[in-house]
Order: sequence, then C-alpha cells, then structure tokens
Amino acid sequence: MSQVAIVGVGQTPYRRSHPEKSSRELIWWAAKEALNDAGLGIDAIDVIIAGVAPDALAGEVSVERSGMMGIGKPFIRVNTGGVTGSSAVFAGASYIKAGRAKAVLVFALERMGQASSSQQVFNTIFDPVYEKDFPLTTITMAALRASMLMRLYGYAPRHWAEIAARNAQAARKNPLAHLHNDITPEDVLKSPLLAWPIHRYEACPMSEGACALVLVDKSLVGNRKPAWIQGAASTSDSYAMGDRIRRKGATLVDLLSLSMSAKRAYAEAGVTKPVKEIRVAELYSAFSSAEAMAYPALGFCESADGPRFVEAQATDKSLPVFNPSGGPQGANPVSATAMVRIAEAALQVRQMAGARQVDGVERAVATGQGGATQFSTVCVVGNKPNT
Amino acid sequence: MTDKRPAVYIEGIAVDIGWADATRSLTEMIFSTTRRAIDEGKKSLDTIDSVVLAAHDMVDGRSLSSMVTGPAAGSYLRDETRYSDDGAAAFAAAVTRIEAKESTRSIVAAWGRASEHDVEAVARATFDPFFASPFGIDELQVAAMRAQAWMRMGGDVAARAEAGQRRIAAARANPRALKVGGRHPVASYPLNEADMPRWADIAVSLTISAEPSAVRVAGIGQSSEPYWIGDRKLGRLAGLEQAAQRALSEAGFGPEQLDVVEIDGLTLFDEAIGMEAVGIAQRGGGMRSMATDPRSNPSGGAAAGYCAPAMGLARIVEAVMQLQGQAGTIQVPRARRALATGSCVVAAQTHTAIVLEAT
Repeated sequence: MSQVAIVGVGQTPYRRSHPEKSSRELIWWAAKEALNDAGLGIDAIDVIIAGVAPDALAGEVSVERSGMMGIGKPFIRVNTGGVTGSSAVFAGASYIKAGRAKAVLVFALERMGQASSSQQVFNTIFDPVYEKDFPLTTITMAALRASMLMRLYGYAPRHWAEIAARNAQAARKNPLAHLHNDITPEDVLKSPLLAWPIHRYEACPMSEGACALVLVDKSLVGNRKPAWIQGAASTSDSYAMGDRIRRKGATLVDLLSLSMSAKRAYAEAGVTKPVKEIRVAELYSAFSSAEAMAYPALGFCESADGPRFVEAQATDKSLPVFNPSGGPQGANPVSATAMVRIAEAALQVRQMAGARQVDGVERAVATGQGGATQFSTVCVVGNKPNT
Repeated sequence: MTDKRPAVYIEGIAVDIGWADATRSLTEMIFSTTRRAIDEGKKSLDTIDSVVLAAHDMVDGRSLSSMVTGPAAGSYLRDETRYSDDGAAAFAAAVTRIEAKESTRSIVAAWGRASEHDVEAVARATFDPFFASPFGIDELQVAAMRAQAWMRMGGDVAARAEAGQRRIAAARANPRALKVGGRHPVASYPLNEADMPRWADIAVSLTISAEPSAVRVAGIGQSSEPYWIGDRKLGRLAGLEQAAQRALSEAGFGPEQLDVVEIDGLTLFDEAIGMEAVGIAQRGGGMRSMATDPRSNPSGGAAAGYCAPAMGLARIVEAVMQLQGQAGTIQVPRARRALATGSCVVAAQTHTAIVLEAT
C-alpha cells in the first residue's frame, strides 16, 4: 500500500471570532496556504475532505459546502466531534493508500464564535432525558475527571497549574495561537474557579479558525519537505460516562480508547518506547488535567507515576516536549483542533515551526479527543517513511 | 482497479423504513437494523473492526449525535468514523478503508427519522444565511426550479403522468417501502403531489469486506457541483454525470450494460434527470425512462420513503437485493449489474455513484 506524507500545512490565526471573514474565506485562506506550502494547485488535488463538527456552533448547517473548491472533485464532510480534524486526515490518507488519489486536500473549520453560548450547544451532546438537565458541559465533565485523578493518583492543583502555565508560555511563541498570556502557576491558581478543581487558566479558550493539510502519495513527494504519516488509529468508547467510571482496568480516566489507538498507531510506526522515541507530543487536551490524563494512555508513564512525571518535565530535558504550540489551551477551534495537532506535529518534523521549533524532532505524536473522550485518535508522524 | 487494491464485497444488508414508531427509539431502530445486517452477513461481530456512519446532527436532533447512535451501530471499542454526508459517500469512504487494508470488515450504516424533525427547516438552514435562506428556499424548491430548467432545455414531459404512476406503483409493490404513515411535503410549481418524496423514518446497514461474496463493488465515482445554485446548470446533474462516468469507467462497462439503476433523487424529476446523467436515458428522455424502462428505480425511489442522509445507502441496498435475486415482488429478472447513487446538500451539490456486480 502507498505511504502518505504531509507536504502542505495552512492555518489561519485562531481568534475568539473572525467577524471580518466568512466561513468560505477562512477555508480558502487555510487551503491556499497549504497548497502554496505543497507547491501544488487545486487542479493537482484529487479528493477534498472537509471537517466540521456541530452545525449548531456555526449556526449554519453544512457550512463547509460554502467553501467548496475544485468543482467536480470528490468532496466529503467528516463530523466526529473533537476528533473531526484527525478523522478528516485519516479519511484523506485512506483514499491515497487505496490508490484512489495521489493528492488530497483536507481542511477543518471552526466558527464557534458565532454561537451565543458554546456551552449550551455542547450541553446538547448529552442525553436529552437523563443528562441534559444536569449542569453537564465540557467543563464540568472535565472537572469530574480531574477530581478522579486527584483521588486515584494524588494529583494536586499545583500539577494542573504547572501544565497550564507551561502551555501558556509555549503559546506566546506561536503567532497563530488565540491566547498569548504571560502567566505563572501562581496566576493559574489565583484565576477564578470554573468548576472545582478547574481554574479559568487551565481551560481552553473558544476559538475560531481553519486548518488545512495537503497529503500526497510517496510518488509525489519529490523534493518537497515531508512529514510521513507513520501510524494512525482511531477508537470509539461507550457513550455513557457512567459505564466507564468503574470499568475494571479502564476507568473514565484511563482513556481506553486513546490507549487502544496509541497501541495500534505505535505498532504501525514501529514505536516501542514512546518516551524515548517521540520527541514532541501535540495533545488534544482542552484542560491541563486532561493532558495529564493522556500521558499514561500514550505510554509516557504509569498512571500512578503521573504527578511525578509532571514534576519531572521541568528538569528532565530528555522527556518529550508537550504542546510546543501551546496546545488547545492556546487555541481550541474544536472542529479543527485535532487537525491542528497533526499540523503542528508535521511542522515540527519538517523543521518549519518557527519560534516554537523544538530541536532534533524526528518523530512526533498528535492526538485527538472528542465526545466526552468517547472518541480518540493517535497519529504518529516522522521524517522518514515506514520501512 | 489496480492489482494492489483488493476487491470489496457486500455481505449482509438490512433496511428498515417506517413512520413515527413510538415503541422504538432511534438507537433501537439503528441497533436492530445493524444486527440484521450482521446476522445476514453470517460473520460474527468479533470479525468486524470498523464502523463507518452517515448521519447528521440536525436530523438526529442533537449535537455530535454519533456519540449515542454510534454504539447502536456497533462502534464500541472499534475504529469508527462518521460522515455528515450522504450514505453512499460514507459507503465509498468505507470501501477505501478496506482497499487501503486499514480494515478487514466494516459496518456501514446511515439513518434519518423524518417523523422527529422539521425536514423543511433543516433543509432551509443549509442555504446561505444572507442571500438565500431569507427567501425561505429549501431543497424541494430547488428541485422545482430544476424541473423547470430541465423542461426549458427540452425535457420531454409527455410521459410524466405515466412515470409518476409507475413510480408510485413500484413503491407500493416494494416490500421494504413505507406502507403506513409518512408525510408528503408541499409541492412547488411545476411539481405536484405525485412527483414528491414521502418523508419516512429510515435506517440502513450493511457489512463489507474483502472476502468474496455474491456482490462486489465494481466501481466508485464521486463528484461535486458549485455551492451557489445560480452557478449550476440546474437542468442537468453535471456532478452526478461525472460521478457515474468515473464509476462505470472503473467498472469497465457502459451504462447500456446496467440491469438496474437506483437513483437517489428528491422528486420524480430529479430521478428522471438522474437517469439521463448516468447515461441510461438520452438527454431530455429521463421521464420516458422512468415511465417505461424496467431498469429505472425499480424500488420506487423517493416514493418508497425518503429521509436524508440515508438515501444513497438505501439505494445501494436495493441494488444489492436485485443482484442477489432477493428483491421480492420488484425483482428485475437476471439482474447482474447495477448502479446506485447518492447525493447530498446543498440541493444535490455532491454526488456518489457506486457500480455493483453479481459475482
């Protein structure tokens, strides 16, 4: 089967809203940048995969259709919530691996700045009879998990604050990030509580923007600078969070779907010791506690060692660098966030990440998480194709 | 097909068309249909490693609806993805995953419950919020404009009444069609009630793999048209034409060799124009084809029950049944090759054509 490389990355800046831009303009902005980066025109593209999650956030149904380009080409929309961006990348890669396309343009768009209240929209992802009337939102859902992590593994608010401050400082080097706050762990702990134990500065912002990638078959790489997709996997878990709270060996905070995806993606990529073999991890963690929750699922540490792993990051430079872009706490354009993670991982591998470039990146991992962590994706990219 | 690409076969199929069944939730409807498809495929659930869905949040009535509907279609601890696109597009994407050797056996499912949402309101919301939506336009009105454009371009309407009668008779004869309930939307000129779809509650599931079975996927074609209605040649379905040509080219045979054509069209006119687009009717002769050609939508098409985004997959299932000789009272004798299509918003902007062949 063909191997797939990312040779074009395009991103708009991520902002609270882009009132001066239509959805079409945001899509075309990102797409044009990705095509320019790849050195390809739209005519060279065989398939277009669009990613947009809840229509209610944009207030316009199937808003991606307005950004239609390359008339006459196959054009399909993915909608898998938080993993929409990575699902779109995986769908595009499938067309190439199947031999149905040599070049695929994938894009993801978020217009949540148009929603009067994104949390009210997110509340509608939950069961309309049994859950919706509780104050269940993406924030309270994350708080539930954070408190479970504290009880089970000994995390303290300081750990979440350290992660949040590190991501905030990283975002300051990323001109595309939505937030550029100069904050310390103390600032995080002093920020208002959203839902105990989560403080405002531990949470992601609500961001708008678009991201696009050009994927090509090995035969089209030529002298372009590629980030090879070495491994990719997606897994879905149960809908009801209650089913996962006491599930033996795979509780709500064990992120079974993420660990299953990681195992498959690592196996495909030939990764056996992730903490040694992966230099950069771009994680879809909308809250700093969610980032900590992902470490053991991705094989970076044991669950019980999580707090010490967070502490070690400040001193042990051999550990992977987490979210050098600032991650979702720097910008969270939900439909696009999982694609942004892959885009940032690809930029790192291609040595094109500018001020946020980490030295010596040969391999990076990008994750996607969506639907109350029901959906998880893992994508490993590297500077060499699989042998 | 290249040598490297494995052939993909259809194993189990199931379709459920009803109306406002208060005894079953949407998830129960999806579960029972998927269960039937798995059972009919005679392969255990354990052998299925991926799930590909076509469903739309606005149709299902909740954001990220696949959270609750996905597990009913077998997604628990499997590789699942969901397209907010037509079922035939999701089918095409699922086939590529088998061809790419990313999956060995997959469930493909699509659904929509017209009895539980305002179909016209959702359709209106797909149009541009500034320049189109304020007119109150929905997809049926675009279908009416398409019918007028087609007539202006010389479309032969002499057989319209006969085509309408045959379509409704086919739907009545189809054992899988909606028998009780449903809703006929209001027709805009020049459409009349006989041309219209019948809104229904529909769930469709099938399983596919690279293991040989009675029906194989012989060709896939996909295409798209401009966003703005004014930029399209409304009297033709240029995107469908291109998609069908691609699918037939891959299959290696022409439209004249097809025994069954199942077109996903919103109205009788859309189905007739679709017959022209895929090449079994001459330009302007689609209505005559609908009236007299036994290959044209033997299922009764949209008259048998309609709810996006399930329709492309429903058309595929009807075509598979014909090729399996299992279509019952609407069986086309000696059917060996079939083409099924699916289209999606906005007003048939994207198209998928699937060519199927009995092995």
